[in-house]
Amino acid sequence: MILVCGGLADGVTEFVCARLEHRGYPYRLLDLATYPAGYSVAWTWNATGVTGTITGPEWALDLDDITGAYVRFIGPEGRVSRPGDAEAAGALQFEADAGLLAFVEDVPFPVVNRVGGGMSNNSKPYQSLLLRRAGLAVPATLVTSDPEAVRDFQSEHPHLIYKSTSGIRSIVRRLGPDQRARLDFLRDGPAQFQAFVPGRNVRVHTVGDCVFATLIETEAVDYRYASRDGLDIAMRPVRLPAAIRDACLRVARELDLLFAGIDLKETPDGDYVCFEVNPCPGFTYYERHTGQPISTALANLLNGTPHAA
Amino acid sequence: MVASPLAPPARFAWRLDDDGVSSRLEFGDGLAEIDGVLVRGTAWLDPTGWAPEDHAYMQAEMLAATLAWLAGLQCPVVNRPSAALWYRDRASLLTWRRALRRCGLTTPEQVVTNDPAAARAFGRRLEGAGLAGAVYSPLTSDANYLVATPAAWQSLTDLQERAPVCVSEPHGATLPACVVGGRVVWDDGATPETLALEARLIRLASSTGLDFLEVVTAPLRSGPGVVMVEPMPVLEHFTPAARSRILDALADLLVPVGAGTEAIR
Repeated sequence: MILVCGGLADGVTEFVCARLEHRGYPYRLLDLATYPAGYSVAWTWNATGVTGTITGPEWALDLDDITGAYVRFIGPEGRVSRPGDAEAAGALQFEADAGLLAFVEDVPFPVVNRVGGGMSNNSKPYQSLLLRRAGLAVPATLVTSDPEAVRDFQSEHPHLIYKSTSGIRSIVRRLGPDQRARLDFLRDGPAQFQAFVPGRNVRVHTVGDCVFATLIETEAVDYRYASRDGLDIAMRPVRLPAAIRDACLRVARELDLLFAGIDLKETPDGDYVCFEVNPCPGFTYYERHTGQPISTALANLLNGTPHAA
Repeated sequence: MVASPLAPPARFAWRLDDDGVSSRLEFGDGLAEIDGVLVRGTAWLDPTGWAPEDHAYMQAEMLAATLAWLAGLQCPVVNRPSAALWYRDRASLLTWRRALRRCGLTTPEQVVTNDPAAARAFGRRLEGAGLAGAVYSPLTSDANYLVATPAAWQSLTDLQERAPVCVSEPHGATLPACVVGGRVVWDDGATPETLALEARLIRLASSTGLDFLEVVTAPLRSGPGVVMVEPMPVLEHFTPAARSRILDALADLLVPVGAGTEAIR
């Protein structure tokens, strides 16, 4: 039995559930839009770990019967608001979520994904250090509150992009004359700059030991926003060099991510540069464009079924 | 002592390239020469003058930059935070259980449930073992409440209608220990049984990458165990003599003999 913790209104969770249905893999949905309302949980931690049950609408699940869990947390906008005092309701929801978080961190079955490993995505430069340590090249990066440091950096790397240091508002833009004129605002707080890396975007999804690489061709600086910028986008499956494939698997393993979305660029010289690892990848975009069986591999992983490459 | 080292008016630059990572930090009076960093909090940005949504964004940016800076420093950083530690609001004992178990450390039995019958059954089991009741510990605060009377159990049941609660096996008198630089400093009153935990406590510090760690031990049904883990030790929990030993060990960690100064690498 597979446990899915997510919001049905979330397209990715809905897609995962549909794939599980299609494969005939039994699953139960713990709907985070309403949790804990409508569910009964009884989890006991003792010397050997956690045991117990989850009871939902018309079903009950013993933790010993779970082969894997897919967890995709949702923001407050996806939650059904609780009755009564808003502050008290928020505190109780926070308490319920803390219990659920502790639970998914400690259960003995595979979890896609445990929360701890994905935290590195909240600090892009910190994650770059981890990526580099795992053997992937990363772009030359400057995080600074010093306008002069940006000018020096640009003298070494004429074409720069800037993006969030954190995981918020993370849209990649080129540093042009308009932005250069506003560099003095950096004194209010640091921002992140990177040498622009020419080449073709490659999105890699690792699912356990499976690797799916997708080549994205577009003129957009940040291909995720190509259509918003009125630019075309094309995608197709691509084979990665073995060393890069291995490094992607190593990164996912070291970050404790059974499922990861890794953003690479293949340079005109044939080198690969890594930008970031997404611990909660919205993979449906890539699967719909290419037909790559990412969700099937995910379903197999959750069900404990070996995936044929 | 700096509340948030990268916040204005500091000037900060952190670079990662083919040569590795380097950083530069200037306060108002010039370049900061850093031999070691003791981390006692995260990063904070003064909200004055910011619209709330922009402040939330800039606060996140400051946190992200500070984490990368601390991670990349070559001088001693105590504790050098991982992202999981940096972004965790508050870590209850539940969140440490996996690491504690892997190091062979015993912890109290705990139940998270919104099923009143399951909570009551746990309480009866504890009473059957001669304990006074169960301890209700919200996961999002440091409070603990003994649940031992019918009225207290009813209050817990009322709460369970709104959210699952965490109840634990009660423990005996606590004894804090501080793992600092691979040494364990016990507060007064360590017994041979608690001293026998030392190797496992050192393993815990090592496996979690924490050089400075407070662990509170206490007698449990199954012997001495861990009832609290604090990655930002509180010296006031210790007697003056133990405090002094902790500070000596901490100073050794922060400025190792023969260490140079780090300004720009």
